[in-house]
Amino acid sequence: MIIGQNTYSFKRYRKFVLPLISLIIVTAGASFVCDATLFKLRTGILKGLAFLRFMAPPDWTAFKDMLEPALQSMLLALLGTVFGTILSVIFAMLAASNISNKWVRNTARVLIALERSVPEIIILLLLIAAFGLGATPGIISLSLGCIGMLGKLLADIIEEIDPVLIESMESLGANKMQIIWFGVIPQIIPNLISYALFRLEINIRLSVIMGAIGAGGIGYELDYSFSMLQYHRAFTAMIVVIVMIFGTERLSYLLRKKFKVEGALQ
Amino acid sequence: MSTIEIIMPSKRYRQKATIFMVSAIFILLACIYLNFNPLMFFTEFHFVRDLLGEMFMPNYQMLYENTSTGLSILQTLSMAFLGTLYGGIIAFLLAFLAATNTMPYKAVRVITQVFVSVLRMVPALVVVLIFVIAVGPGSFSGVLTLVVVTIGSFAKLFTETIENVEAGPGEAIFSVGASRLQVIRYSIIPQIMPSFIANLLYAFDVNIRAAIGLGIFGGGGIGFQLQMAKSVLHYKDVMALVTIIVVLVILVEKLSDYLRMKILGDGKLS
Repeated sequence: MIIGQNTYSFKRYRKFVLPLISLIIVTAGASFVCDATLFKLRTGILKGLAFLRFMAPPDWTAFKDMLEPALQSMLLALLGTVFGTILSVIFAMLAASNISNKWVRNTARVLIALERSVPEIIILLLLIAAFGLGATPGIISLSLGCIGMLGKLLADIIEEIDPVLIESMESLGANKMQIIWFGVIPQIIPNLISYALFRLEINIRLSVIMGAIGAGGIGYELDYSFSMLQYHRAFTAMIVVIVMIFGTERLSYLLRKKFKVEGALQ
Repeated sequence: MSTIEIIMPSKRYRQKATIFMVSAIFILLACIYLNFNPLMFFTEFHFVRDLLGEMFMPNYQMLYENTSTGLSILQTLSMAFLGTLYGGIIAFLLAFLAATNTMPYKAVRVITQVFVSVLRMVPALVVVLIFVIAVGPGSFSGVLTLVVVTIGSFAKLFTETIENVEAGPGEAIFSVGASRLQVIRYSIIPQIMPSFIANLLYAFDVNIRAAIGLGIFGGGGIGFQLQMAKSVLHYKDVMALVTIIVVLVILVEKLSDYLRMKILGDGKLS
């Protein structure tokens, strides 16, 4: 018997036929809906490359105008993360089964899940409709956005902490606040820092997009330069954005290493 | 004669208190600089209440009256699907070029890794603005953006997965004369396939949210509809679209969780 004969038999690959055919049909349908054609791709890529070359020399005189918006974006993300982390700790406490009772827990879990399924940008659009343009709706939507991710992760962490500690504190007559402050918080701090730093990276990216919608900052500069056809200026904004994101990522990596909480996420 | 003994807090405590105070002051200054007052959310809450009042009841009639709504839902789903599929395939191929155990030439590895990190650094907003100029506004520019974003976020992950496979089976068939491609085909791919598919399903989950956001910047789909309805102040339509988006996101999440559980057996994203 030749070994190779069996390896390439049709029988082995039969179970892949149906998924493959359905995948091809769905892909073709999706391409039709999105009007995605190879011709469009080819012309688009050529046009895109030509456009990038056209943008090429960045307008360095605009660089100093970009610094303040960049700072605004970073502060927006930072404040969003700080308030968001505080909010998510509260929500996580409410959603953890070893701290809160059943009804509160279920309500909090449902709220967290619901929040997770509303993209931050939609929250921002609604808040802008309510409060008007500016940093306030941006910070609030970033904070609310944290609840969905951090709230769930932290709730799981809180449920896994050592129950002996809580019981012993209870037996000594500590009230709920004391248990949370001295028993729960110190145990979750390393994870909290790690998640918050990870969320800060996400929020920096989001704050750029939010700026373009109306929260101000570097995203606004970028979108404005594009729509005013000042492409050299837009290129400067792009460079500033990339440096900003790169910087936050390095910083978050270094801090995570310093707090020795690496590896929880990432 | 009694002396008053002043008990100083411990050094560690003082250090912590200082860090806390400095960061509190910094956050306060940042709030003042950005003109942000957290309490405003509560004092000015009547704006939110007014908005909610205007939003109810959501106008679900627009779903079947306006045929473009159904199409835009389909467009958003297709955008996320195509972006995940093509982005995933390209990321998969690039991962083999970047992994130490599949690519012997260091130059190729470094170039691939740098390329992927650059893609990861460029935010989606920049990519979509460029693609809107290159291929025109519409869902195709959204697809291309999602392809780039997916490559950026998943190529590195796949590289690590490939580097973490067990070397034993590969070495065994290499020693009996298999070529490098055969080692990849018969030893590495079977090992990484479950993780690859699970991550791809996760990417679809992420991309559906991103696709909604991209619509606002000319990427087409339901985000574009939402932006339009908002800018003409049809808040009842906005509410209808928001509920549809929430349902869509939840459905995709549940579907991707279910499929992942089926593929991996125990539902763990490894």
